[in-house]
Amino acid sequence: MGLVQREIEKAGIPTIGVSIVREYTEKVQPPRTVYVKWPFGHPLGEPGNVKQQRAVILEAFRVLYSAATPGEIVDLPFRWRRYDYDSYEEPGEFVPGH
Amino acid sequence: MFSRIRNQLIAKVITRFPSLAQRFITAYQPWQSGEPTPWTPVTKPLKECRVALVTTSGVHHKDQQPFNMQDAEGDPSYREIDGAKISNGYLITHDYYDHSDAEKDLNIIFPIDRLRELQNEGIIGSLADRHYSFMGHIDGQHIATLVGKFARQVIEKLRQDAVDVVLLTPA
Repeated sequence: MGLVQREIEKAGIPTIGVSIVREYTEKVQPPRTVYVKWPFGHPLGEPGNVKQQRAVILEAFRVLYSAATPGEIVDLPFRWRRYDYDSYEEPGEFVPGH
Repeated sequence: MFSRIRNQLIAKVITRFPSLAQRFITAYQPWQSGEPTPWTPVTKPLKECRVALVTTSGVHHKDQQPFNMQDAEGDPSYREIDGAKISNGYLITHDYYDHSDAEKDLNIIFPIDRLRELQNEGIIGSLADRHYSFMGHIDGQHIATLVGKFARQVIEKLRQDAVDVVLLTPA
Protein backbone atom coordinates (compact mmCIF):
# COMPACT_ATOMS: atom_id res chain seq x y z
CA MET A 1 0.00 0.00 0.00
CA GLY A 2 2.79 2.37 0.90
CA LEU A 3 4.19 2.09 -2.60
CA VAL A 4 0.96 3.38 -4.19
CA GLN A 5 0.76 6.09 -1.51
CA ARG A 6 4.26 7.27 -2.39
CA GLU A 7 3.38 7.48 -6.09
CA ILE A 8 0.23 9.54 -5.44
CA GLU A 9 2.12 11.92 -3.15
CA LYS A 10 4.94 12.21 -5.68
CA ALA A 11 2.34 13.22 -8.28
CA GLY A 12 1.37 16.19 -6.09
CA ILE A 13 -1.64 14.95 -4.13
CA PRO A 14 -1.22 14.85 -0.31
CA THR A 15 -1.88 11.44 1.24
CA ILE A 16 -2.48 9.85 4.63
CA GLY A 17 -2.33 6.10 5.18
CA VAL A 18 -3.55 3.75 7.89
CA SER A 19 -1.08 0.98 8.81
CA ILE A 20 -1.57 -2.27 10.68
CA VAL A 21 2.01 -3.53 10.20
CA ARG A 22 4.48 -0.97 11.53
CA GLU A 23 7.54 -2.91 10.32
CA TYR A 24 6.45 -2.65 6.67
CA THR A 25 5.56 1.01 6.96
CA GLU A 26 8.99 1.79 8.46
CA LYS A 27 10.64 0.08 5.48
CA VAL A 28 8.44 1.41 2.68
CA GLN A 29 8.39 4.97 4.09
CA PRO A 30 5.11 6.43 2.87
CA PRO A 31 4.86 10.18 3.58
CA ARG A 32 2.36 10.13 6.52
CA THR A 33 0.88 7.22 8.47
CA VAL A 34 -1.30 6.48 11.48
CA TYR A 35 -0.59 3.06 12.98
CA VAL A 36 -3.00 0.81 14.87
CA LYS A 37 -1.83 -2.44 16.49
CA TRP A 38 -4.90 -4.33 15.36
CA PRO A 39 -5.55 -7.68 13.60
CA PHE A 40 -5.18 -8.02 9.84
CA GLY A 41 -8.32 -7.10 7.94
CA HIS A 42 -9.40 -4.47 10.52
CA PRO A 43 -7.62 -1.17 9.74
CA LEU A 44 -10.70 0.84 10.78
CA GLY A 45 -11.70 -1.51 13.59
CA GLU A 46 -14.67 -3.75 14.27
CA PRO A 47 -17.81 -4.25 12.15
CA GLY A 48 -20.62 -1.94 13.24
CA ASN A 49 -18.43 0.16 15.56
CA VAL A 50 -19.15 3.53 13.96
CA LYS A 51 -17.46 5.62 16.69
CA GLN A 52 -14.28 3.58 16.40
CA GLN A 53 -14.14 3.82 12.61
CA ARG A 54 -14.79 7.55 12.77
CA ALA A 55 -12.07 8.08 15.38
CA VAL A 56 -9.44 6.41 13.19
CA ILE A 57 -10.41 8.55 10.20
CA LEU A 58 -10.40 11.78 12.20
CA GLU A 59 -6.99 10.93 13.69
CA ALA A 60 -5.73 10.20 10.17
CA PHE A 61 -6.88 13.64 9.02
CA ARG A 62 -5.37 15.24 12.11
CA VAL A 63 -1.99 13.72 11.22
CA LEU A 64 -2.43 14.78 7.59
CA TYR A 65 -2.22 18.36 8.88
CA SER A 66 0.17 17.92 11.81
CA ALA A 67 2.88 15.75 10.23
CA ALA A 68 5.99 17.79 9.45
CA THR A 69 8.54 15.14 8.52
CA PRO A 70 8.33 12.85 5.45
CA GLY A 71 7.86 9.26 6.64
CA GLU A 72 6.19 10.23 9.93
CA ILE A 73 4.30 7.39 11.68
CA VAL A 74 1.93 8.27 14.53
CA ASP A 75 0.89 5.45 16.89
CA LEU A 76 -2.78 5.84 17.76
CA PRO A 77 -3.73 5.23 21.42
CA PHE A 78 -6.66 2.95 20.54
CA ARG A 79 -6.05 -0.45 22.15
CA TRP A 80 -7.93 -3.30 20.50
CA ARG A 81 -11.26 -3.76 22.29
CA ARG A 82 -9.90 -1.79 25.26
CA TYR A 83 -10.68 1.80 24.38
CA ASP A 84 -13.78 3.78 25.29
CA TYR A 85 -14.62 5.73 22.13
CA ASP A 86 -17.12 7.86 24.06
CA SER A 87 -14.08 9.45 25.71
CA TYR A 88 -12.46 10.31 22.36
CA GLU A 89 -12.26 14.06 21.74
CA GLU A 90 -12.60 14.96 18.09
CA PRO A 91 -10.15 17.52 16.68
CA GLY A 92 -11.71 20.96 16.36
CA GLU A 93 -10.52 21.91 12.91
CA PHE A 94 -8.30 20.57 10.17
CA VAL A 95 -6.30 23.43 8.72
CA PRO A 96 -2.74 23.89 7.39
CA GLY A 97 -0.16 25.06 9.88
CA HIS A 98 -1.48 23.04 12.84
CA MET B 1 -6.18 -24.42 -6.17
CA PHE B 2 -4.56 -26.20 -3.24
CA SER B 3 -2.24 -23.26 -2.57
CA ARG B 4 -5.24 -20.87 -2.50
CA ILE B 5 -6.94 -22.97 0.19
CA ARG B 6 -3.68 -23.13 2.12
CA ASN B 7 -3.25 -19.32 1.93
CA GLN B 8 -6.85 -18.73 3.03
CA LEU B 9 -6.38 -21.08 5.99
CA ILE B 10 -3.14 -19.39 7.06
CA ALA B 11 -4.88 -16.00 6.80
CA LYS B 12 -7.66 -17.13 9.15
CA VAL B 13 -5.23 -18.55 11.68
CA ILE B 14 -2.93 -15.51 11.83
CA THR B 15 -5.89 -13.11 12.09
CA ARG B 16 -7.17 -15.03 15.13
CA PHE B 17 -3.74 -15.48 16.70
CA PRO B 18 -1.76 -12.25 16.15
CA SER B 19 1.38 -13.67 17.80
CA LEU B 20 1.70 -16.09 14.88
CA ALA B 21 1.36 -13.19 12.45
CA GLN B 22 4.71 -11.86 13.60
CA ARG B 23 6.47 -14.84 11.96
CA PHE B 24 4.90 -14.03 8.61
CA ILE B 25 5.60 -10.32 8.99
CA THR B 26 9.27 -11.02 9.67
CA ALA B 27 9.52 -13.47 6.76
CA TYR B 28 8.08 -11.05 4.18
CA GLN B 29 10.27 -8.16 3.04
CA PRO B 30 8.42 -5.35 1.28
CA TRP B 31 10.07 -3.79 -1.72
CA GLN B 32 11.93 -0.55 -0.97
CA SER B 33 12.57 2.00 -3.68
CA GLY B 34 15.61 3.54 -1.99
CA GLU B 35 14.41 6.96 -3.15
CA PRO B 36 13.66 9.86 -0.77
CA THR B 37 10.17 9.89 0.74
CA PRO B 38 7.94 12.12 -1.42
CA TRP B 39 6.16 15.06 0.20
CA THR B 40 3.33 17.32 -0.94
CA PRO B 41 2.16 19.83 1.72
CA VAL B 42 -1.57 20.17 2.36
CA THR B 43 -2.47 23.75 1.56
CA LYS B 44 -6.27 23.85 1.96
CA PRO B 45 -8.49 23.33 5.02
CA LEU B 46 -10.11 19.89 5.03
CA LYS B 47 -13.58 21.43 4.73
CA GLU B 48 -12.54 22.65 1.26
CA CYS B 49 -10.88 19.39 0.15
CA ARG B 50 -12.24 16.70 -2.13
CA VAL B 51 -11.30 13.32 -0.67
CA ALA B 52 -10.86 9.93 -2.41
CA LEU B 53 -10.18 6.48 -0.98
CA VAL B 54 -7.52 4.06 -2.18
CA THR B 55 -7.43 0.62 -0.60
CA THR B 56 -5.28 -2.47 -0.94
CA SER B 57 -7.92 -4.72 0.59
CA GLY B 58 -9.02 -6.39 -2.67
CA VAL B 59 -12.65 -5.20 -2.48
CA HIS B 60 -14.54 -4.79 -5.77
CA HIS B 61 -18.02 -4.64 -7.31
CA LYS B 62 -19.70 -7.99 -7.92
CA ASP B 63 -19.72 -7.51 -11.70
CA GLN B 64 -15.98 -6.77 -11.88
CA GLN B 65 -13.32 -9.36 -12.65
CA PRO B 66 -11.86 -10.70 -9.39
CA PHE B 67 -8.18 -10.16 -8.67
CA ASN B 68 -5.92 -12.97 -9.87
CA MET B 69 -4.98 -14.97 -6.79
CA GLN B 70 -3.09 -17.67 -8.69
CA ASP B 71 0.00 -15.51 -9.24
CA ALA B 72 2.41 -15.71 -6.30
CA GLU B 73 3.70 -12.21 -7.19
CA GLY B 74 0.17 -10.79 -6.92
CA ASP B 75 -2.16 -8.94 -9.26
CA PRO B 76 -0.95 -5.34 -9.84
CA SER B 77 -4.21 -4.16 -11.47
CA TYR B 78 -6.92 -2.12 -9.74
CA ARG B 79 -10.70 -1.86 -9.72
CA GLU B 80 -12.51 1.46 -9.98
CA ILE B 81 -15.07 1.71 -7.17
CA ASP B 82 -18.32 3.66 -7.52
CA GLY B 83 -18.74 5.21 -4.09
CA ALA B 84 -22.52 5.50 -4.49
CA LYS B 85 -22.99 1.77 -5.18
CA ILE B 86 -20.31 -0.21 -3.38
CA SER B 87 -22.12 -0.43 -0.03
CA ASN B 88 -25.05 -2.21 -1.71
CA GLY B 89 -23.04 -5.30 -2.55
CA TYR B 90 -19.37 -6.16 -2.94
CA LEU B 91 -16.85 -8.98 -3.14
CA ILE B 92 -13.43 -9.25 -1.56
CA THR B 93 -10.88 -11.24 -3.53
CA HIS B 94 -7.85 -11.61 -1.28
CA ASP B 95 -6.46 -14.82 0.21
CA TYR B 96 -3.89 -13.23 2.52
CA TYR B 97 -6.22 -11.98 5.25
CA ASP B 98 -9.44 -13.16 6.87
CA HIS B 99 -12.16 -10.86 5.48
CA SER B 100 -15.17 -12.39 7.22
CA ASP B 101 -15.56 -9.23 9.37
CA ALA B 102 -15.15 -6.95 6.33
CA GLU B 103 -17.95 -8.91 4.67
CA LYS B 104 -20.21 -7.83 7.54
CA ASP B 105 -19.16 -4.18 7.39
CA LEU B 106 -17.30 -2.74 4.41
CA ASN B 107 -16.28 0.30 6.45
CA ILE B 108 -13.61 -1.55 8.44
CA ILE B 109 -11.51 -1.76 5.26
CA PHE B 110 -13.14 0.86 2.99
CA PRO B 111 -14.79 3.56 5.16
CA ILE B 112 -17.04 5.03 2.48
CA ASP B 113 -20.09 5.50 4.73
CA ARG B 114 -18.01 7.23 7.41
CA LEU B 115 -16.54 9.62 4.83
CA ARG B 116 -20.00 10.41 3.48
CA GLU B 117 -21.07 11.31 7.02
CA LEU B 118 -18.06 13.64 7.33
CA GLN B 119 -19.03 15.20 4.02
CA ASN B 120 -22.62 15.72 5.19
CA GLU B 121 -21.33 17.36 8.37
CA GLY B 122 -19.06 19.67 6.38
CA ILE B 123 -15.87 18.27 7.94
CA ILE B 124 -14.57 17.31 4.50
CA GLY B 125 -15.41 19.48 1.50
CA SER B 126 -16.63 16.68 -0.74
CA LEU B 127 -16.25 13.01 -1.43
CA ALA B 128 -15.04 11.95 -4.88
CA ASP B 129 -17.39 9.74 -6.91
CA ARG B 130 -14.61 7.31 -7.93
CA HIS B 131 -12.31 5.39 -5.60
CA TYR B 132 -9.70 2.68 -6.24
CA SER B 133 -9.00 -0.80 -4.98
CA PHE B 134 -5.78 -2.80 -5.29
CA MET B 135 -4.93 -6.11 -3.65
CA GLY B 136 -1.51 -5.38 -2.17
CA HIS B 137 1.26 -7.98 -1.71
CA ILE B 138 2.73 -7.11 -5.11
CA ASP B 139 6.17 -8.51 -5.74
CA GLY B 140 8.80 -9.17 -8.42
CA GLN B 141 8.17 -7.96 -11.96
CA HIS B 142 4.67 -6.72 -11.05
CA ILE B 143 6.10 -3.83 -9.00
CA ALA B 144 7.18 -2.04 -12.19
CA THR B 145 3.73 -2.63 -13.72
CA LEU B 146 2.01 -1.36 -10.58
CA VAL B 147 4.08 1.84 -10.45
CA GLY B 148 4.53 2.49 -14.18
CA LYS B 149 1.07 1.57 -15.41
CA PHE B 150 -1.74 1.13 -12.89
CA ALA B 151 -0.72 3.70 -10.25
CA ARG B 152 -0.23 6.20 -13.08
CA GLN B 153 -3.76 5.53 -14.38
CA VAL B 154 -5.23 6.05 -10.93
CA ILE B 155 -3.29 9.32 -10.50
CA GLU B 156 -4.66 10.55 -13.83
CA LYS B 157 -8.23 9.81 -12.70
CA LEU B 158 -7.64 11.50 -9.32
CA ARG B 159 -6.49 14.60 -11.22
CA GLN B 160 -9.51 14.51 -13.55
CA ASP B 161 -11.75 14.44 -10.47
CA ALA B 162 -9.80 17.31 -8.82
CA VAL B 163 -9.06 15.21 -5.73
CA ASP B 164 -7.14 17.15 -3.05
CA VAL B 165 -6.49 14.43 -0.47
CA VAL B 166 -6.25 10.63 -0.64
CA LEU B 167 -6.89 8.37 2.36
CA LEU B 168 -5.31 4.92 1.99
CA THR B 169 -6.45 1.80 3.82
CA PRO B 170 -4.72 -1.60 3.87
CA ALA B 171 -6.07 -4.93 5.07
